[in-house]
Amino acid sequence: MSKKLSMQQRYAALTRDLDWTPDYVDPAKVFPLTSFEGIKVHDWSAWSDPFRLTVDTYHKYQAEKDKRLYAVIDGFAQGQGHLSLSDAQYLNAMKLFIQGVTPLEYAAHRHFAQLARHFDGPGPRFAALCQSIDELRHTQTEVHTLSQYNKYYGGMHSNWKMFDRVWYLSVPKSYFEDAMSAGPFESLIAISFSFEYLLTNLLFVPFMSGASFNGDLPSMTFGFSAQSDESRHMTLGLEAIKFLLEQDEANVPIIQAWIDKWFWRGYRLVALIAQMIDYMLPKKVMSWKESFELYFEEQMLNGLFKDLEFYGIRPPMHVQQAIEEKEILSHQVAWTLYQFSFAAGFNTTVPDEEHQAWLREQYPDTFDKLFAPQWAKAKKIQEEGGRFFFQGLPQLCQVCQVPMLFTEVGDPETICQRQVVYEDERYDFCSDGCQWVFEREPEKYVQAWLPVHQIYQGVCGGPSVPEVLAWYGLQEGDSGEYIGSLDHKDWLAWHATAPVGS
Amino acid sequence: MPVVALTDNYTFPSRSRQELYGDDQLVHVLWKGNRMMAAAATFRAPKAMPWADFLGALVDPWAASDPDYVPGSGSGWTLDGQPLQPDPGKGLAELGVGHKSLLTFEA
Repeated sequence: MSKKLSMQQRYAALTRDLDWTPDYVDPAKVFPLTSFEGIKVHDWSAWSDPFRLTVDTYHKYQAEKDKRLYAVIDGFAQGQGHLSLSDAQYLNAMKLFIQGVTPLEYAAHRHFAQLARHFDGPGPRFAALCQSIDELRHTQTEVHTLSQYNKYYGGMHSNWKMFDRVWYLSVPKSYFEDAMSAGPFESLIAISFSFEYLLTNLLFVPFMSGASFNGDLPSMTFGFSAQSDESRHMTLGLEAIKFLLEQDEANVPIIQAWIDKWFWRGYRLVALIAQMIDYMLPKKVMSWKESFELYFEEQMLNGLFKDLEFYGIRPPMHVQQAIEEKEILSHQVAWTLYQFSFAAGFNTTVPDEEHQAWLREQYPDTFDKLFAPQWAKAKKIQEEGGRFFFQGLPQLCQVCQVPMLFTEVGDPETICQRQVVYEDERYDFCSDGCQWVFEREPEKYVQAWLPVHQIYQGVCGGPSVPEVLAWYGLQEGDSGEYIGSLDHKDWLAWHATAPVGS
Repeated sequence: MPVVALTDNYTFPSRSRQELYGDDQLVHVLWKGNRMMAAAATFRAPKAMPWADFLGALVDPWAASDPDYVPGSGSGWTLDGQPLQPDPGKGLAELGVGHKSLLTFEA
């Protein structure tokens, strides 16, 4: 009798050996999506899978990780874990997570299911299938983890509806829809390379480190449970780009343009995370600037892109602007969310003195000069019984969909305005990067569903702010100023008999 | 550069085109040099709305978000990058303000 197959043999049997070349149907009809983008693949068998998982080992690993996570969630619920956070304000970060990131996990699940169907090669098909299942698991475990807080705090109850409707969530939503409506190779670069490799340490990791520093054990455990999947996804992203670059020289300029585009799209998306790191965590992990220098400049620009030089790939276009913005980005975005939080699913407030001292220390060249005066004025308004809100709707960028808050490179006091007239209509952009993305494919971006423009068309619940907020699924206490909010009052009441942290 | 698409005939209308706003249009207003306002505001305004009404009904209430704003104190107006000396009685379209035009002022 033959012995059992080795893991590698089983993997080969599962993928390569189950592949066949169709002979009574035109292969181009079976795989209709892999030629129009201009990418040439000569030999799919050159795809080497870094993690040779089979279905049974995959399920075994994931089941073990799930068991650990759900044990922690049970312990958390029994031990009143919602009381032992650093502060209730910490949950603003997790509100942003369940509203803006969890739906992306689900979008990624759909995206990789599509890739698993459409790639002509069995190796990448199976890798995409595994990732598709991972992403669905992440969606579920994140919902289960954060539902522990939903019982006690605002902003987490209608995350799916909010993701589809709320203005700042159109930023992540439009990123994924842009990717999913592209061809399979571009979307692979958008998600596996740009999102999961290039920017993952700026996107996903800060939430999990924030959880660990702020006493959120369930989210931290979820982070650990996702970590081995994420490292598999990162490896897939890197393998994908190297494979495509090696297959044909003609692929290089196409891939370069996708790197340029998806770096910039992704970088604008992480603007939301930048403010989260610097402004939403009561116990700080590291500043945005530090995080950008370590995870992007050091690891990506001085590491990854040095390796990619060999293939004729250069660092992303417009990267210099991102570097220039590292001292101002988080402050400008936090200031924007502060004045628009009347329409957000989280609460904001003026950072207290200790927090401002930390910001001053992290940003010695910019905080006092540019941002402390704004916060001081907002605080004064608040002390006089008011609250500074932007009483209107903001101009949005046609591509990234972020309010046009960004400033000219080298001139942090002048808001950057770029306009293009395309087929007799004027379009607005926050930066040269977003203008460049538009001009490559204007036919695509004229279709953007811009929240402000839609509200003015009257299709978002009605013309008044309360009607729009109701249509967003927001309830009393979800939005606006933190001090005196429902979360704040509850937190104080729950801790009234014992000091916080005791 | 044209979009790379699966079909040859990839054309869709703009989702913010003027006709979707009837007799109105979108107008952006940027308060230059005031960093309290994180971004320019976008308004929906009738094309025929007189400048004075546009200021009084839309711009002033928004600019008053900043308690230091004095209504009607905006000066140095520009329209899409060109200086503008608006006649208060003239309508927006008459002044050359188009769909998604950018007006800026200082105060």
